[in-house]
Amino acid sequence: MTLIYRILVLLVLIFTIWNLFDEDDIKKQANNALVIIPLLLRVLMIK
Amino acid sequence: MKKSKKVTAIFFLVISLFCAFISGKSYSAMHAAEPIVPGSGVSEVKMLSDYFPGLKGTNGDTEIYVFEGEKPGGKALILGGTHPNEPSGYMSAILLIENASVKAGTLYVIPRANNSGFTHNDPQEGAPQKFFIDTPHGKRWFRFGSRATNPIDQWPDPDVYIHASSGQRLSGSETRNLNRGFPGRPDGTLTEKVCYGITQLIKKEGIDLTVDLHEASPEYPVINAVVAHERAMPIASKTVINLQLRGIEIGLEPSPTNLRGLTHRELGDHTDTIAVLMETANPSQGRLRGKTDENLVLTGKDKFYVKAAKLGRLFVPFDENGHPLEERVGRHLTAINELTKAYSEEYVSKPIVIENIPEYDEITTLGIGHFLNPVE
Repeated sequence: MTLIYRILVLLVLIFTIWNLFDEDDIKKQANNALVIIPLLLRVLMIK
Repeated sequence: MKKSKKVTAIFFLVISLFCAFISGKSYSAMHAAEPIVPGSGVSEVKMLSDYFPGLKGTNGDTEIYVFEGEKPGGKALILGGTHPNEPSGYMSAILLIENASVKAGTLYVIPRANNSGFTHNDPQEGAPQKFFIDTPHGKRWFRFGSRATNPIDQWPDPDVYIHASSGQRLSGSETRNLNRGFPGRPDGTLTEKVCYGITQLIKKEGIDLTVDLHEASPEYPVINAVVAHERAMPIASKTVINLQLRGIEIGLEPSPTNLRGLTHRELGDHTDTIAVLMETANPSQGRLRGKTDENLVLTGKDKFYVKAAKLGRLFVPFDENGHPLEERVGRHLTAINELTKAYSEEYVSKPIVIENIPEYDEITTLGIGHFLNPVE
């Protein structure tokens, strides 16, 4: 179950980073950057 | 892709990676355990996995400090850190490990009963990750953890936690509360496995007296109290009277028969041990507290609790002097001393005689640091 969870989070992380590079609005880019932090920690299972 | 868009994306990504690195480092630091320096009374250090191998290699495995007495006698188990955000419990256990010696019987001390709970903080509580205590040999640091097992070690929480042996239904997050999981299961969650390990330790070693050290919020009714299983009542009542004669105000509460999963209920029901739990007053875990920091953990001073006391909302006296850690640890250790004395008077053939336990007056006068050993 943990492996499935990490794969799902990794997918969301990849899409978020993709969106960061795809986004024109700098404010939305900043939002993406904020979301990346917890996703990265969760993929690495750091708590 | 516009060049400027790409530049800002890389800039934000670098900031994200930097923040993740800093916060990841901070979270990972929580997994380091504070140094404990056993005194000369400790004869052996075992692991909980010695009693339940299913815990080996997990964050649920934890150290058991064994004090073999000079003479045979009864066996006592002290549990600290069942809730790692209740520092007087595990600090009392650590002071025992670093100071006590046993003349008769055997003493087992587990300072970090929920080892996993020490590796994180409760989210959104603003609690400190550690606190420092001055000693004659320099500062020593100690962990301030969470009430519950780290979700890294046990997830997801169910919507409703059903206690295995009784069917009691509690809030889902209680599934990671060690003091709701007894007697535990070998094939359950990590929390239940730790409970099972402790139950096995009690059964295999034939522990006669088990004392679980806790703290409570000042607004919680069961506070400054001994909670005793039916079979523990003769000893617990004698202990409470002796503590009151010494000027330590403490109450006696019978273990509720319909509140399941707690040490004083399940260990008393499922093993032959005499089970008691003790509570002191800890404002750093309360809901009415103000700024939550190391100072609050150590001094127990909080202006909002002073106000709440004036409004009659608390179950303990609370003034500007607060409830410092020295007072709370002193209460626990003096109560342990009185409990073992009462046990030895009741069970003359199986005495438990522990010496060099720091007393209430000594700790409140000299401080906790006076009784901590130097770290090599």
